[in-house]
Parts: sequence; structure tokens; C-alpha cells
Amino acid sequence: MSGIPRIKVSNYHTFFYQYEFSLLDALESQEIPAPYNCRGGYCGCCKVRLLDGEVEYVQDSLVDLQGDEILTCCCRPKTHIEIELPED
Amino acid sequence: MSYSTFSPSNHDATREPMFFGRPVNVARYDKQKYPIFEKLIEKQLSFFWRPEEVDLTNDRKDFMDMPDHEKHIFLSNLKYQTLLDSVQGRSPNVAFLPVVSLPELETWFETWAFSETIHSRSYTHIIRNIITEPSEVFDTIVTNPEIIKRAETVTRLYDEFIQLVSVYSVHGAGVHQINGVSYDASLYNLKRKLYLTLVSVNVLEAIRFYVSFACSFAFAERALMEGNAKIIKLIARDEALHLTGTQHMLNLMASGAEDADFKQIAVECEEQVYAIFREAAQQEKEWAEYLFSEGSMIGLNARILGDYVEYITNVRMKALGLNEIFPARQNPLPWMNGWLVSDNVQVAPQEAEISSYLVGQIDNDVGSDDFDGFDL
Repeated sequence: MSGIPRIKVSNYHTFFYQYEFSLLDALESQEIPAPYNCRGGYCGCCKVRLLDGEVEYVQDSLVDLQGDEILTCCCRPKTHIEIELPED
Repeated sequence: MSYSTFSPSNHDATREPMFFGRPVNVARYDKQKYPIFEKLIEKQLSFFWRPEEVDLTNDRKDFMDMPDHEKHIFLSNLKYQTLLDSVQGRSPNVAFLPVVSLPELETWFETWAFSETIHSRSYTHIIRNIITEPSEVFDTIVTNPEIIKRAETVTRLYDEFIQLVSVYSVHGAGVHQINGVSYDASLYNLKRKLYLTLVSVNVLEAIRFYVSFACSFAFAERALMEGNAKIIKLIARDEALHLTGTQHMLNLMASGAEDADFKQIAVECEEQVYAIFREAAQQEKEWAEYLFSEGSMIGLNARILGDYVEYITNVRMKALGLNEIFPARQNPLPWMNGWLVSDNVQVAPQEAEISSYLVGQIDNDVGSDDFDGFDL
């Protein structure tokens, strides 16, 4: 992939990554109500599902993650990605 | 199996289970079965803080101006937290160290318990600063029926497990009659008790602390007791990390990655696990009623706090792959989030409120001409 990673958020809009520190910061700058708490990779509140694409980690994720789960506070998009926020 | 402080056996710890394998021999971290525990240790060490760093002179003035019912809320919470951290400062070591088999997990327990001792010291720091006679607070912890009622539930599983481990280490695995009392120290029952104890510890750090946290932060939202809130913020950060540690252990056990027994135990004990969560949530709601029995504080009352207990219980249960036991709801105290951020990603560490600001950092990029623009 070349160019700026595109972030698609299920039930919200799609936008281009503006090279924020983390995916969580990117979501916040788009005013998408992404959940979070500690921003340090250990509380697990910002867990979302990565449906498509790849992310790279900017800080250690200390939470037990299953399959396609990622922590938005710990990573940033490496390719175009599609994510799904938890329901509530 | 008797405990040995240094087993000379030349075994590979990465092939041992987390618990009830061979005792740890060399405290080495070059080969690890679960590197996550070392990451937790590193994170915990990076969180290091001392209560004396936080100035509480304004808190003293705030406290003296508080109406009596707010003093009751503040001191009751502090007493309860003192109790919880008294338990947590010693119990993980006493209970789990004799049966742990992985060096990285052993060190995580010690690092974890150590951080709880800092919390205990910080309560003395707070109480010393706001009250002339600290004994008035400390002496009434074990005489307060509301606190004692919950202390029993907090410590019951710990105590039962510790007792069984003592029997096991003297008499070995099996059912033993001691002074006419039967103790089931079979490995399966020990594992069962261990699993339930970890659940109860998880509940302690995940739910029980949060009513107190909410009150401390609610005072600080009104610019009251801000020094206290800063300390509580550091404690909350530590507790969130400890919680991750127990969640990892429980999820590893339930997944069957450890041994088949634990997988079966996780299934068998599911009803008891739900009961532990339900009981804790109920007790915390009753505690909220007690706190506000003499009057509410601005922005917080027993009902909102009860809703918050339900909300946080659901969140914690989901993290363990359990079903929610309360109706799904939005966070009733959204402003709490601002106090639970660990801020290690903030960009302006020179601001005093950044809690992960590193002490003793040196800027090495100072050239000899950097001060040329200054005139004295």
C-alpha cells in the first residue's frame, strides 16, 4: 500500500489517518466516541475489532486480546484498515 | 510438597505451569513462559511514586471547612481503602508465592504487593496531614461494622486458600484429618480454591476500590482535596494494572493453556464466580448508602454511585469473558475517565499534574552556545 492509511469505522465514517500518535487519537480527532480509560495499554477499555488491514504498535499492549482485537491507544494504522467499535 | 526457598533442581521453568509445579529455583528472566508478566513488572516499576511527593497543605484547609457529612464520606472511604490495601500489601505474597512456579510470575506478585505497601503508606500520609490525631481514624477501622462486614468477604477466600496451602506443604497432597477437622488439600481442590481466590482478588481491585475513587475524584471536581485526588489517581493507575495481571492469570487458566484441571475448574466454578461478583456489587452499593446516610455531596449520591457500581461490574465481567449481570448502561460518571487516564502519552511533561513525569531526566543536547542569548 502506498499513500496515507484510510480508516473505516463501522457505523461511523471513513477518514484519512492524520499521523496522530495512536489510532485512539485519530478517532478522537474525528469526534468518533471511541471508548478509553488509561491510554497506557493496560485497562483494556479501548479494545476494538480489526476487521481488515494491519496496525503497528506504538506502545506495549498488556491486555489479554483474542483474535482480531486491538487496543486503539497502543497502535496506529499501517495499511488501510477497517475497525468496529464495541456496541455500548 | 514442602516449600524450598531455593530448589537446586535443574529444571526448565518454562515447562512448568504457573502454579503447583516445581518451586522456582533461579530468578532468571532470560527465558520466559509468559513474557506478559515481565511487561507488567516493567510498567509497575515505571509507575513508581512516593506519597511524600504530593503536597497536602491545601487539603488540610479544605478538610477543616467541610461539613460533617462530607467529612464522614471522606474518612469512611479512606478507612475502607486502608483496610483493602492492608490485605493486598501482604496477601498476594503469603498466598501465592509458596505455590508459584514461574520466575516472572513470582516477581510480578512481589512487585504487585510492594506497590500496595506504597498505597498503605500514602493513607497515613493523607491522614497525618489532614487530622491532628491520626489514631482517631486508624483505631476505628476494625471497630466499624460496615467495614468489618466487607472485610470478612474480602479475606475469606484468601484465608481458606492459605490454610489449605499450609496443610499441603506439611502433609502433601490429599485429604488430611488434623485435630478432628478434615482438610481437602488434594491438588484439584487447591487449584479450585486458587482460582476462586484470584477471582475474589480481581473483584477487590476491579470493583471494591471504585466507590472510594469516585468520591475522591468528585471532591476534586469541585477543587476540594486535590492533593488527595492526586494520590488516589496514582493508586487507581496501579490498581488498573494489577487488575490486568489477575485477568491474564484467570484467562490463561480458563483457556486450558495451563492444564486441563483449570479449564474444568473454570467451567465448574462459573456459578460461584458470578456469585462473587454479585455479592461484591451488592456490598459496594450498600456501602454507597452508608456513605451518604448523613447527607449527599454535590454531584454524587447513593443512586448514581450504585449505578456506577453496576456499570463497572459489567465492564469487569466482560473482560473475563463472562456475561453482564446488570442492565447495559452508559457510564453514569463520565468525568471519572479524566481521572483514570495514565497520561504517559501526554506531550507536556513539565506540567506538574503529569503523573508519569520522569524524575532526574537530563537533557544531553545542550551546546556551549545555548546560553549566548542571555545577559546577566
